[in-house]
Formats: sequence, C-alpha cells, structure tokens
Amino acid sequence: MQLGTRIRALALASAGVFVVAACGGNNSTPSLNLAPAAQQILRVNTGVEPNSFDPTQQTFTYEAAVGRNTFQALLQAKADLSDVQAAAAKSYDVSSDGLTYTFHLQPNAKWSDGKPVTASDWVYGFQHFLNPALAAGYVDPFFDGTIAGAQNYGSVDVSSASAIDSFLSGLGLSAPDANTFVIKLQHPAAYFKWVATLWVAVPLRKDVVESAAGGTFPSTDTTKPEVWANKASTIIGNGPFKISEIASKDHVTMVPNPNYWGGTAKLQQIIYYYISDGNTEFSKYQTGALDIANVPLADVTVVKGDAVLSKQAHLYPQLTTYWMDFNAKKAPFDNPKVRLAFAKAIDRDKLANDVQHGTAKGIASFIPNGMAGYDTSDNTQSFDPTAAKKLLSDAGVTAATLNNFKLLTRNTTGSKTLNQFIVDQWNTNLGLNIQLDVIDSKTVTSRIRKGNFDIYGPSGWGADYPDQQDWMDVWFAGSCGSLNFGCPTLAGYDALVQKADTELSQSQRNADYLTAQKMLIDQAAGAFIYQPYEYDLVQSYVSFTHTAFDDQYAPGDQNYFSAYITTH
Amino acid sequence: MAVIAGRPNRGALLPSRLSALSSSRAGSLAIFIIRRILWMIPIVFFVILITFFLMHLAPGSPWDRTGGRQLSSVVTHNLDIKYGLNKPEYQQFGLYLWNVAHFDFGLSYQYEGKTVTALIGEGVPYTATIGVLAFLIIVPIGVLLGVLAALRQNTRTDFITMGFATAAASFPNFVVGALMVVVFSVEMARWTQHAFFLPAADFGLDDHLIMPVITLSLLPIAYTARLTRASTLDTIRQDYVRTAWAKGLSERLVVLKHVLKNSLIPVVTTLGPTFAFLVTGSVIVETVFNIPGIGRAFVVAVTSRDYPMILGTTVLFSIVIAVANLAVDVLYVFIDPRVRLT
Repeated sequence: MQLGTRIRALALASAGVFVVAACGGNNSTPSLNLAPAAQQILRVNTGVEPNSFDPTQQTFTYEAAVGRNTFQALLQAKADLSDVQAAAAKSYDVSSDGLTYTFHLQPNAKWSDGKPVTASDWVYGFQHFLNPALAAGYVDPFFDGTIAGAQNYGSVDVSSASAIDSFLSGLGLSAPDANTFVIKLQHPAAYFKWVATLWVAVPLRKDVVESAAGGTFPSTDTTKPEVWANKASTIIGNGPFKISEIASKDHVTMVPNPNYWGGTAKLQQIIYYYISDGNTEFSKYQTGALDIANVPLADVTVVKGDAVLSKQAHLYPQLTTYWMDFNAKKAPFDNPKVRLAFAKAIDRDKLANDVQHGTAKGIASFIPNGMAGYDTSDNTQSFDPTAAKKLLSDAGVTAATLNNFKLLTRNTTGSKTLNQFIVDQWNTNLGLNIQLDVIDSKTVTSRIRKGNFDIYGPSGWGADYPDQQDWMDVWFAGSCGSLNFGCPTLAGYDALVQKADTELSQSQRNADYLTAQKMLIDQAAGAFIYQPYEYDLVQSYVSFTHTAFDDQYAPGDQNYFSAYITTH
Repeated sequence: MAVIAGRPNRGALLPSRLSALSSSRAGSLAIFIIRRILWMIPIVFFVILITFFLMHLAPGSPWDRTGGRQLSSVVTHNLDIKYGLNKPEYQQFGLYLWNVAHFDFGLSYQYEGKTVTALIGEGVPYTATIGVLAFLIIVPIGVLLGVLAALRQNTRTDFITMGFATAAASFPNFVVGALMVVVFSVEMARWTQHAFFLPAADFGLDDHLIMPVITLSLLPIAYTARLTRASTLDTIRQDYVRTAWAKGLSERLVVLKHVLKNSLIPVVTTLGPTFAFLVTGSVIVETVFNIPGIGRAFVVAVTSRDYPMILGTTVLFSIVIAVANLAVDVLYVFIDPRVRLT
C-alpha cells in the first residue's frame, strides 16, 4: 500500500464494524430516517485526482477510492477482517494442493451498460492488468509471485507483440464457462484470497476498450488500451456506482449503477473533490460544503475544544505502522545493539500525545493493532533510556562517533515536526547531539533508495490486505531499497517468511510470522514508533458503515453502497 | 532601390511590398512584431534546452514514490521503455524538439494516457479567468491610488494610500488568503447560521471569484500604486506641467492630458511582466482556494518529476512572457510618441 501524500488505510482497534450515524446511534432502529433523493449527495475530499480511472493502473489509496466503487473485485474483506466474503464471486473453492482457485461468479452480474459480466471479461481484465508493456504499478507485489506463468513478467520483451501475447496466453487464467473463473497459482499461497480482494483484480470489457481505442491494437501499444478510461461514457464497470462526470483537477461524480447485481445504492451522487490543502478542506467542511473531512494536525486541539465540531469528530485507527530506518550497511548501525539502543530511547507515548495530539498510538512492534499478527508480548523495543545507554556502551560506540550522523528528513511539516521530536529524544536520552538533514521529498526518496543516508524516517507501511504476508516481505533481503531502506541482515528471516507464505495451515503460518516479527523487533530492523489514527469530521446527517482497513481514503468509502443521508 | 557603396540599403532585400510597408509607421510596427515573433523561436529553444537538462540533473526519478511500496525495477524498466526514458538524453532531447516542432508535447507521466496539451488546456481557463480579472482590477485601482497619493503628497490621502500599499505588499498572499477564508467563509457562516458567506474553495463564475481575485491583486496593486506615485511626482515637476498650470487649466485637464500619459510609461513597463505573472498562475492562491489552474499543475509536475509536463508548462510560460513584453513595447508607441521601433 502506498503511503503517499496521505494514508487512508484504516483499521479498527477492537473489532468489527463501526457505525457513524445521526443522533447518537439510533441507526439500529428499523426506520432509516432517509432524506429525500435530492439530498442523497455525499461530498468527500480525496485530495488528489486519480492518475487513471482504469482500476488496474491505480496504485494510490485516493485512486482506489474511485476504483473500488466503480469496479468490483472477486472477494471483499469481512467487516472484522477475520476472513474474506463474497463480492463479484458468489463463492470460491480451493483445490487440496492449494494451487487452483475456482471462483463462481454472481450469476446475474451486469455491467453498468446492462450487458452480463462473463468469465472471459475476467480473463481479459487480468490480462490487461498483467500486460508488462502497460507497467501497472500493483502487478509485481502480488500477481507476478502468485499467478502461474506470471513469474516471467519481468523477462518479457515489451517491444515484441508476440512475446507479450504468448506470455499473456500462458498465464494460469481460464474461463471454463460463462460463470466460472479459474486461477492457477505457481505455489500454494493461503493469502491469495486477500489478493483477490484488491481493486486492481477486476474484469474489463474487451469491446469497450477496443472501440474507445478506435479498433484493435497490438499488445505493445501503451496508449490506446487506456483511452477508454479518460471518458465517463466509456468507463463501463461492474461496481455499485458508475462515473457520471469527470471534472479534471476539480472533482469526479459517481451515481448508482442501475444494473448492479446487488441492487441500487441509496446515495444518488458521490462527489470526490481534489483539495490538496488540508486547511482548505477543513474550512470547506466548516462552511458545510463537505460532508466528511480530515482534521489537519494543527487543528486537532481546536476541534477537540469546539462544542459543535468535537461531536462530529471520530478517531479511526489505520492499519499502518511507522518506524525509523538505520542504514545497516554502515558501521555502527550494522550492529543490532546500536539500533536497539536508538529504538529504546524514544518515548512513544509522549510522541503520540504531544506530537500527534492523541491521533496516534505508540507501538514497539511491527504489525499494527486490528489485523492478524498484532502482538505486543515482545517488549524489547519499549522505552527504557537506562537500558538504551547501556546497550550503546556495551557496543563500544561513543557519542562523538554518533554525532557525525544525521537524520534524513523530508521537507514536509509532518516529517520535520516528528523528526525534531525523535532527535530530541535521542539527544536527551542517549546524551548525543544528532542533527536533522532536511531536503526535498523526491531527493530524499532517491537517496534512501540508493542507501545514501545514516538514519531516515519516518518509514511506513499500510496494509494492502490484513494478512501478515503483506507485511513481512517488507524486510526480505530482496526488498532492500524498494520496501525497506535500512537493509538489515536478518539471518534465516527470508526462509522462514517464505515458508509461512506457502504454508497452507493458518495456525502454522501465524506461528512462523510471529517468530519472524520477533526477529524484526529484537534485532531492531527498524525502530517501530507509532500507529496513526485518522481524525475525521463527519456531518451528523451522514450514515455509513466503517469497516476497518477496507476504507481506501475517507472513512466508509468501501461501503458507500449502503451509506445514506438522513433527514436534516 | 538604392545601392550605397556596393551594399544594399536597409530593407533593400525585402520584397518591394514589405519595404513599402516599412516606410510607414504601421508598416514598421508590423515588421517589428513579425521580427519579435520570429525571435521567439530561438528563445523557446534555449528555454527547452536549459529546462530539459536542469530537470534531468535534478535528483529523483519520476517513478520514485514519496513513501511505502516503491515500484520494482521490472516495472520502472518497462515504464522507461513506455515513455522513452531508456534512450540516451541527447536522443530524448532531439526527439522532444522534433515533436514540439509538430506541436506534440507528449504524454504526462502522472496521468495515464493524457497529453500535456490536454492537461494545460484544462488548467489555462481557470488561471486566465482569475488572472485577467485581477489585472482589470489592478490597473485602474493601482494607478488611481498612485496618482491620488502624488497629487496630495504628504497629506492624509497620501499616508493612507501608501500605508495601504505597504501593508498589501508586506502580507504574504497565503496569509491574506487564509485569513479571508477564516473571516468571510468559516466565521461568517457561523455568525449568519449559513445564510451568508463566501465559498471557502473551488472555482466558479460567481462569488467563488471574489477572494482569489482580491488575494491575487493586492501585491500588484500596491506595487503599481507606488510606482505610479513616484513617476507622477516626477512628472508634475516638469516644466510643461508647470506651463499647463500657469495657463490656468483645470486640475482635471492637467492631470488627464499632461501628467497621466507621461507618468504611465514606467507603469506600462511593469504591467507586461505583471500580466504574465497573473495569467501563468499563482501556486499559493490556487492552493489556498483549490483552483485547478496551471500554476499548481506546474509545481505538482516539478515535484513529481513529470518531465513532459514541466517542459510543456515552461514553454507556455516563456511564450506568454515574451508576448506580454512584446505587447508592452508596442504600447509604448501609442503612449510615447518619442519611441521608435526598429
């Protein structure tokens, strides 16, 4: 999951479903108190215009917020994240060797133009997505490692149409009949059911793509296959909503898809605005021009002290963890003791309360609260300045050596404030004098990818889906420079995680991932610092079901099908 | 056709029709304009050259992500092929020039399948509307304040107008913009129970325009007022103005006929760049009021290293600035009869 400009992978701390409703939870009463149809309009800010309205090409949460509503994946997460449930597939079977997934599609599923959705549309959608010439950003983390034949994704000659065609036709995708979609895997992958919930794994209409492109095109073509996604009239989806208007750079409007198999949504319009400035979003909410808005960090105390706004504010945990990276290819950070000393010298509760104004929770482990694998039994990284100092002296590292190092910081308010707090903690608790090195964001990314830094943070990870596999591969040796930047050497870690990834028994997987997480904590692969919460304002007349991580950007955006506006 | 010392006279090589033109005032103006337009070609070339290499020198690739999952080398390799970034830079440059000569500014890296021309075309109307409106306010108000201050030098009128100009120039427009939003949108909505307030953000051809246009105008108004005041003070001390007063002309006649025309020359010089600045968009105003204009698009393109979009907007800006300066030079002819264009 991209932790981009703003992260909206949301999780739920305790369990299950969170209902935000008018008038203090009278949502359980059978009468919905529905506002008239003309008022069934939901106005939300997603911050940035989607780079594409083709869900297979989307990689950011603000894009998937549109993709998830206009197209529907095979499966979706249950509200409590314990398992998957039916979506575009009514049910699915897994062969006993764990290699073949058979999806039984909803028999009366229709496209937004009324034509039936067939299994061959699914094959076409997956092939479009897996075409290496189109270079979709979300292919390689999940699909080239799972779908049979896709392991050759990286070696296909993208200038040769025949090479691409033979790669695509060799993929383990088939449609034995109109309602059955079969996917063969390279190796057993118990987490594949979660992969099938991703917004990129959707069907596409070959006839629509080709007619928008003005005819058939070779698979090497990179522009014609995307023409359809630029016009509302040719974005034909299988989701509960369809796009009615694309006002570039300003907003996108979605209306109910009357042909959706599950019925018609109550909301008559969803408008996603692209307001990049948090203060502008907040002002607009206060004038009543937005129904849901995020509270900028600087205004959290204002909202908490405001009689009206504080009643509309909700705290939603996110399935995200932040940590600090130490360049483990450089002495003395190649020594786990030194890294651990730094990890133990951060007062995480103070961070959550003072820096994040209570919109975060300190965490000293990797997997966040709200998903499988969350475990706080290992407190090796917990705040303990005395033990931290002892670790440093045991490692034989002097303050003079460490003072030469800098904390690489992105030139954003959030990063600067956080990192100033972190260095203050280190300088106070370890008796050091480390400085910040603040540079523009793109340059920071380019430097950390090349390993050209001492300490960097905050690094973060947000769940793509609530399975540990999505998290543990961050620390593979092969993920150095792309998913993790400290690149610590963790003996036996890769083999253990790979074993758990292909293991079919869930209890064995959980046990293996737990051992792997212990390695990350004990050897301080990173100094895990906090789990963020989303602090959002929701107008009292908006009713929606908030399901943990499944929300892509704004709370409830995965269940807008069941959302509605109450009389007001 | 006169030949002097074996060299053709100036204009002798021009077709006779053109040379006939060049002898008249309108004709020389036409030739001047054509020459200046042709000069834009090398200007745009050097703008492209410098921008192209500076932007490739800047660290970071278009495919680097701000955080989280970075694209794998397989995907970035295929993206490089898709957008031609796998070729050597001089080849990319040559190809870009070739395409620009055919008015093809390429595909944006940020928006799948969208051309730079389309993206710029989407942003320009927003920015231009606000820029032109601001310009229409700036010129009369700025000049009026400046002339008033000069004619009433060292009186209360002078202190108030110049005090306003100094304040307007000192407050950064992100402060002015944000402050106006708080007062006229948020607080006003609260006081009036949502009955009357200005919209906090977004573009619209109605009351949405008020705050962005005012925010954008303040600094140029202040600047124009100060400049007008200085040049007017200079002009009213000239002998011919004194003569005009001595003839017993009314103040209105002296100011409008004798003072204003001459004192406006330095003001006109700055109006060209001001106009160019206004219609190429203010990032801050566009961000604070969430206007989908070209100024913000340019900054987003720079921070995300969207090379074709950076080049496309830079070329557009350079052309706008060149045209604005040309317009100023042409305006001189009409304001100041001493000016001859060559």
